Amino acid sequence: MILDRIKSLDWLLILPLLGLLGMGLVALYSTSQGASAIGNHFQTQLWWMAMGLGTMAIVSLLFPHRFIYDLTYLVYGLSVVLLILVFFFGLKEYGATRWLSIGGKTFQPSELAKFATLLALARFLSDERKDMNDPKNIAIALAIIFLPAGLVFRQPDLGTALVFGVIALPIFFWVGLHTRYLILVMWPVLTIFASFNTFTFVGIIIAITVYVFFWLKLSSITRILYLLVNIGVGFAAPMAWDQLQDYQKQRLLTFWNPEADPLGAGYQIIQSKVAIGSGGFLGKGFCEGSQTQLRFLPEQHTDFIFAVIGEEWGFLGVLLGLLLFALFLSRLVYLASIFKSRFSSIIAVGFAVIIAFHMFVNIGMTIGLCPVTGLPLPFVSYGGTALLTNMAMVGLILNFYRHRFEY
Amino acid sequence: MKLYRYTLNSSRRVVFYVVIGLTTLFLVAGFYNVQVLQENVYRQKSLQNSVKVITQTPLRGLIFDREGELIVDNRPSFSVYLVPAQSTDSSIARVARILNISEKEIRKKFRRSRRFQPVKIARYVDQKDLVALQENKLLLPGVEWRVDPKRNYNVDEAFAHVLGTLGEIGENELNKDSRFEPGDMVGKKGVEKTMDEALRGSKGYKYMKVNALGQSVEEIENDQTADPYPGKDLYLTIDRRLQQYADSLIGDHRGTLVAIDTRNGEVLALATRPNYQLSWFAEAVDPEIWHNLTTDPEKPLFNRSIQATYPPGSTYKMVAAIAALNEGIVSPYWSVFCPGYYRIGRRIIRCWKGGGHGEVNLTSAIRGSCNVYFYQLGTRIGIENWNKYSLLFRFGEPTHIELDSEKGGLVPSKAYYDRVYGKDRWTAGMLANIAIGQGELLVTPVQMAQFAMMLANAGRYYQPHLTLQLVDRITGKTEKPTFPAENIPVIRPEVFSAIREGMRQVVAGGTGWRAGVYGLTGGGKTGTAQNSHGNSHAWYIGFAPFEEPEIAVALVLENGGSGGGIAAPLVGQFLRRYFYFQGKFDYAAERVYLQKLWKQKREEARMDSLRAAGVVSPEDSTVIELEN
Repeated sequence: MILDRIKSLDWLLILPLLGLLGMGLVALYSTSQGASAIGNHFQTQLWWMAMGLGTMAIVSLLFPHRFIYDLTYLVYGLSVVLLILVFFFGLKEYGATRWLSIGGKTFQPSELAKFATLLALARFLSDERKDMNDPKNIAIALAIIFLPAGLVFRQPDLGTALVFGVIALPIFFWVGLHTRYLILVMWPVLTIFASFNTFTFVGIIIAITVYVFFWLKLSSITRILYLLVNIGVGFAAPMAWDQLQDYQKQRLLTFWNPEADPLGAGYQIIQSKVAIGSGGFLGKGFCEGSQTQLRFLPEQHTDFIFAVIGEEWGFLGVLLGLLLFALFLSRLVYLASIFKSRFSSIIAVGFAVIIAFHMFVNIGMTIGLCPVTGLPLPFVSYGGTALLTNMAMVGLILNFYRHRFEY
Repeated sequence: MKLYRYTLNSSRRVVFYVVIGLTTLFLVAGFYNVQVLQENVYRQKSLQNSVKVITQTPLRGLIFDREGELIVDNRPSFSVYLVPAQSTDSSIARVARILNISEKEIRKKFRRSRRFQPVKIARYVDQKDLVALQENKLLLPGVEWRVDPKRNYNVDEAFAHVLGTLGEIGENELNKDSRFEPGDMVGKKGVEKTMDEALRGSKGYKYMKVNALGQSVEEIENDQTADPYPGKDLYLTIDRRLQQYADSLIGDHRGTLVAIDTRNGEVLALATRPNYQLSWFAEAVDPEIWHNLTTDPEKPLFNRSIQATYPPGSTYKMVAAIAALNEGIVSPYWSVFCPGYYRIGRRIIRCWKGGGHGEVNLTSAIRGSCNVYFYQLGTRIGIENWNKYSLLFRFGEPTHIELDSEKGGLVPSKAYYDRVYGKDRWTAGMLANIAIGQGELLVTPVQMAQFAMMLANAGRYYQPHLTLQLVDRITGKTEKPTFPAENIPVIRPEVFSAIREGMRQVVAGGTGWRAGVYGLTGGGKTGTAQNSHGNSHAWYIGFAPFEEPEIAVALVLENGGSGGGIAAPLVGQFLRRYFYFQGKFDYAAERVYLQKLWKQKREEARMDSLRAAGVVSPEDSTVIELEN
């Protein structure tokens, strides 16, 4: 019976995943070599990976299918409580309070909250009678997201808080949000970026005016209100910028021009680019990357692990990694589209968005295309909590797959 | 509990596929740019990142005198370095306090350097400070020290202007040669500068792989790895004893004495005063001493032998004489009556001898240094001839002796006068003036010594030089540089004989008699050069022995007064010392001779008074021949 269940797993999802896990292990092995290795992350991660695969197997093969649906709001409530506990009792490190200590082990509640929020959102939106274009439903869905997201932002952990925000639109779109609403939501985001320069700000307000008044059929009051909201966002964004912590600003600014501060905040990006660039097309070879082996590459086992791959395996290794991610993500989207259950479908798509966002921000960061946000690379970076939760999520998707015809 | 059915909207799924595809392509493009298009840029950076070059300073070549006496060697000393990547604010502050240097200075040096390249922040650190650094090593991350030899001088200030000093390399020199690094010591003056290339040796380079903490992981062999190679030892032509003696002769005067071996152009002594203590420059110069040196009105840092230009006065008369004889303008027998003054148009120029020299020809005019004779000669020769012969004797250009910043002096020409005074607006008086070595004419002391050498050799020229040989300490190979030598063209031998005869008589009873040496003949010429800075400059140029010359000397004492009275006796002393070392002069014999002479003079005086008193008859006397 178990064998039948194993046969019924989706191996097109599992194979790219195993590829990514393998790449991570190879890179971690390399960072654990040499006279100046910081510690044996390889060994530790091997154990975490075994536990992760076990978790995936248990969740996919043995979990009662609907059990998770029933627990959704409980898990969500629990994670919000944990985030509040972090707010009061968390461990402070590098100017941020993100960790809870339970019996000497540290644990990052925002990691759990990410998926708890996704589950809660999926459950709320799984009722097909709920019209995604009804403002009331949108408001409730946003509230579900912004309660934990706000707490995470306060820690402060800008990167993870962004992950919460980023899942909203794709999910709304997946369950039927009109394209024009999607566009209406996109405008304020553009306004935020445009608001730091007077000319771009004026330009974008004119563009919005043209779109709202001449393209869409809306009441005059709605049109004016929408315009005012955008203008308000435009004025608020620079003020919010001032509210950011210095290191957050530094990270965002350094992203645009890392050479401006080569020994400070720009150091990581420069070293990462040097590692990747010097790898060339074929790479320097396994355990032969001088940037990695001589520790010039910072955070090489966590945030910058993809730079290790880039240096030692070259452009070919990078292509393989990106291909594996693309396959994994496309398969998730495909699965989401064939699930008969609306709940399962939303979770699959939300999970894909979370992984995609992590991947894009983390890998983009290693070559200076994204700011340094401290988001790990899923399945590849060193770290137990993230790996376990991600693997549990994959397990859940596989579980849904076995029951894909049910709803 | 009921789950709801999801109805597929395939166009929305396509939107997701497209977004995933575009995102991936965007990243692929980014990596393609960094890894394929810009690979070389980053590969280079990666190499610079992880390799530390350790430079080993070679031992600078030693300096010996012509007899092989050690003049300059090296002593061990320590320099302190700081690695920018490893140093912290507190370690910079601490090391600055221990070494008593400013933090700002250190940070300024960091700006030019690479992260892992040690930067020299202090040299010649004394034992006490070094111990303090060693004790605080744990509190001073990034601080290193290495042996960095310093110069040790076995001679005193007499050698200051010849040897010159070392100093930290300047911005300009740094850019000239890629082998230079900030903090290198290079010759700044004297032979230390001109022979720097040979003395410097070549640096050793060791390439170490370093990690991000700056710890050396292993040594890398590459094509630039090298051991340091010591600089070549320099043997100077200078005789240590003569140099020191010349220095003591000048004493409190401002002046310079240059002595050249007439047989090859080797400079035996090149003494200049005032000068400075070499030991002040062996380590970083004390600011107070530096201030005093640079503000002293007597300019002790100024190497007068090559950098100062003076009017040569009467020592230059031989040029006019040679020009006149060689061009056939006058014969050696042509004579002039000197009443003590000379009239050109409405102007009257005086001879130095108030009563006049009477009837003088070439020889006696040189012997008595008669201005009136040379005024007339000057107006007859004309500017073109005078200029031509001045240039033949290499005036107006540097001698190219191995010393830096040498001046060429000034030899006026027709064009020069036309430019300064307007075409044909200048007078015969100017010609008369430059014929006796006054006016716009300017020469350096080393040019005058070179001139004396050419007269001694009757036209044979050797470039004055300071390098006897260079010795490679490792291979033992000796390298003897060759210098230009030639016979002056155009001038006929009989012209030289006539002039040299005049110069012989200068010493033998003429104005330069005080330069005479017992038992030897010589030639010379005095000069008393008027100038706008006070007393006349006292000049003397000469050579000896007369028939087979060995040595030529030029001496000038700034505002020293009379050439015959002040300069000539000092040259006499110098020649005595030279020939004493050659075994050709005996101080004791001269003393005996002089005592005999004085005794005779006293006796004569006594006899005279006795004769006057009628005690002794006029026939009763003995005469001792005067020799010169």
